[in-house]
Amino acid sequence: MSAPILVCEGLSRSFGGVKAVAGVSLALPAGQVTALVGPNGAGKTTVFNLITGNLRADAGSAMLRGRSIMGLAPHKVARMGVARSFQDLRLFTHMSVRDNIRTATETSAWFWQPGGATARRAREAATEEALARTGLLELAEARAIDLAYAERKFLSMARILAARAEIWLLDEPASGLDLASRLRFGALLKEARRQGVAICLIEHNLDVVTELADRIAFLDQGQVLAEGEPEAILKDPKLAAIYFGDRGEAA
Amino acid sequence: MLFIQLLLQGLQVGAIYALTAAGFALIFGATRVFHFAHGSSFALAGYVFIFAMQAGWPWWLGGLAATLAATLFGIGVFWFVYRPIQRHEGSFFTVFVAAFGVGIVVQNLIGIFAGRGFASVDTSLSRAVEVLPDVFLAQVFWVAISVACLLFAALTLFLTRHNAGVALRALHQNPDLLRAYGLSSTRLSLLAFALGSALAAPAAMVTAMTSGMNEAIGHQVMLISMAATIVGGVGSLRGAALAGLMLGVAESVALNFVDTQWAEAVSFLVLFAFIIFRPSGIFGIAQAR
Amino acid sequence: MIAYLTNLAALAAIFGILAATLNVAVGYAGIFSVAHAVFFGLGAYAGAQIALVLVPDALVAMLVAGLVSGVLSLCLALPALRVRGEYFVAASLGLQMMATTLFSEWKTVTGGIGGLTGIPRPHIFGVEVGTLPLALAALGLILLATAALMRGAFGRTLRSIRDAESAAEALGKNVAAAKALAVAFACAGAGVAGALFALHMQFVNVESFNLDQSVLIMAMVIIGGTGTLLGPLVGAVILLSLPAGLAFLPFIPATEVGAVQQMVYGLAMTLLMIFRPAGLVGDLSRGKSTA
Ligand SMILES: Nc1ncnc2c1ncn2[C@@H]1O[C@H](COP(=O)(O)OP(=O)(O)OP(=O)(O)O)[C@@H](O)[C@H]1O
Ligand SMILES: [Mg+2]
Repeated sequence: MSAPILVCEGLSRSFGGVKAVAGVSLALPAGQVTALVGPNGAGKTTVFNLITGNLRADAGSAMLRGRSIMGLAPHKVARMGVARSFQDLRLFTHMSVRDNIRTATETSAWFWQPGGATARRAREAATEEALARTGLLELAEARAIDLAYAERKFLSMARILAARAEIWLLDEPASGLDLASRLRFGALLKEARRQGVAICLIEHNLDVVTELADRIAFLDQGQVLAEGEPEAILKDPKLAAIYFGDRGEAA
Repeated sequence: MLFIQLLLQGLQVGAIYALTAAGFALIFGATRVFHFAHGSSFALAGYVFIFAMQAGWPWWLGGLAATLAATLFGIGVFWFVYRPIQRHEGSFFTVFVAAFGVGIVVQNLIGIFAGRGFASVDTSLSRAVEVLPDVFLAQVFWVAISVACLLFAALTLFLTRHNAGVALRALHQNPDLLRAYGLSSTRLSLLAFALGSALAAPAAMVTAMTSGMNEAIGHQVMLISMAATIVGGVGSLRGAALAGLMLGVAESVALNFVDTQWAEAVSFLVLFAFIIFRPSGIFGIAQAR
Repeated sequence: MIAYLTNLAALAAIFGILAATLNVAVGYAGIFSVAHAVFFGLGAYAGAQIALVLVPDALVAMLVAGLVSGVLSLCLALPALRVRGEYFVAASLGLQMMATTLFSEWKTVTGGIGGLTGIPRPHIFGVEVGTLPLALAALGLILLATAALMRGAFGRTLRSIRDAESAAEALGKNVAAAKALAVAFACAGAGVAGALFALHMQFVNVESFNLDQSVLIMAMVIIGGTGTLLGPLVGAVILLSLPAGLAFLPFIPATEVGAVQQMVYGLAMTLLMIFRPAGLVGDLSRGKSTA
């Protein structure tokens, strides 16, 4: 197994009195899918927010290829190769699907992009490829707000594909997808894994997790209760009890 | 002595600001509508009161008419302007622009029908007497203060005891709680607009008896209410009222140090500073971002 | 009659610049400034002072005016970076009110309520030029620049920020820099328009730079349609010809024309927001509400 690209240690953050994340350590190796599993409110999204700089951590560290990314602004973390999706998608609602994706390929916001014509062609190619792989080619000129539910989810994925990041943090990307869409999503993920992307996936559907995850980190009340192979974690009756909400029995 | 005079004057102005700001905050908290036409309610109430007094009506009848005018106007704007916009998911800015348009229309209607410039009610209440050496106070001061206190007590009672009031307050904190009370959101919004607008009426009447009205006053009142709501912290009625009072006092006391024209800018300086340094306001629960 | 039309055309070009630049902030970046007249005023005073004290060269005046307004646009960028939605509108209103006070009180620079009079006619390299061609050229240049910017990566960045700020950040966009630049561009444009206005009117005072004016410019953008290139121009022409049009209606007493005009655009704003929120030209919806 390759060395992890992203290593988090002791990440903590509380809101008022609530410890949303309390000492989470996580390592994301290249070419592996790590599933972050846990009941609602466990702190999964907050872990992402701490890594990407959307929230400031009270304690802990996050190292990207040995360089600390703690305290960096979100756009700086993104430029270092961390792409993320949002639970509520946050598409650029009034832009076309193609422009949504194009925005992701542009590394500079300004009037000229580095790399000249070659780079421009590469960006256009990346845009078209992301469109094709997410099945959005026909909808390229539609506004994001006019898309159907599954199409929106794939647009969110297409932005990430186009960003060419080496780390993907995906917040419930497959929730609510029908079977066919889920298969397509699975294919996307497997292809990215093959290309060596380090993927962290928040997912509630345990079938999806079983199918796609190489490792599982089980999060509850801000702490990683268990980490390991999917079979071992999913078979643990204590974790299952917590996951399905029978806290009394588990205790 | 000048300082005390200005302080007292500031309290009187502050009481007026507090009432209008509380109305604005109530509406914003419960409906998330930034009611930029709130000042128009105020202006309408003031002019109705002035006309009623000029027509020789008893003061309580004039007051009733003024309150009715403000309330109906508030409800009308909600029903005919905000609700249709919200139905097709208009953004806050759509609402803002529409409300601003309403404000412009009302201001000019008043200008055309009531004449431009200064208008006021002359009563024995507004005659100042010397209460301390060099400190003059009109009875209307006590009227303003006690009306404000009374209304706030009543409002607090309503918001904590009455079922609909509790629902309104809950709405401030969490719009999703609404269903738990089994009250329709439209009816609660109507209630918020009626109550909030009604609060502007007594403030307008006091203003009509003291510094007087002009057709552009709605603008100014709207700006102050908005400033107080933000400085107090959106979501907090108490904050809005307190900030209104403070802005009134600050504006008045500033006269001790600077010219009148600069004093008027004080509120906006405070507002601007708060937005940059503490956007959640004094008592803010809601985050600005 | 010719003089009247030339005057109207020059004003239309000047307000076209104002509306087009405000549209960059409102329609593309989702920064709803109700303080555009502040930067119009700053440019006007700067341009007027240059012409009065230094040289009546239009290019110098416009350049300095654009610079002054562009740099001072930081006053607007600061709250734009801190807050959104209603809060930002409130901040810009506050800025507008403070600036109005400053304009009427800082008499050495602005001439106070009386304003600055006797501003010389504009020259370019010593040759006197009309304000109409000058204004039209400036408008054309600014429109070209806007179109080029908004069609490219910068425009996409702004629109992405408008629609979902945190997602734009997550794609590596420097939100603060992009917003500040959009505001600076819009305000510098307003400054240029201000210098043109001062040279055209040969007189400026605070009344052209108060809240009413900001709302008028806003109304031009809204009525024409935000987020489109030509919408704001259409809005500017409509609102500027309104008083002239109303003056021809016999049943409105001359003293009330101003009031009726304001009512018409107030009503137009309200009705448009209810029935056609994208404006007359646009089909693009404006920015989403606060988060
Ligand atoms: N910005 C915030 N301010 C206050 N509390 C927060 C904030 N973000 C998260 N929390 C709290 O932190 C806890 C963890 O939230 P988080 O969103 O990380 O959970 P989650 O595991 O992603 O849940 P879900 O499966 O529902 O998405 C919750 O109690 C939540 O209310
Ligand atoms: Mg979550």
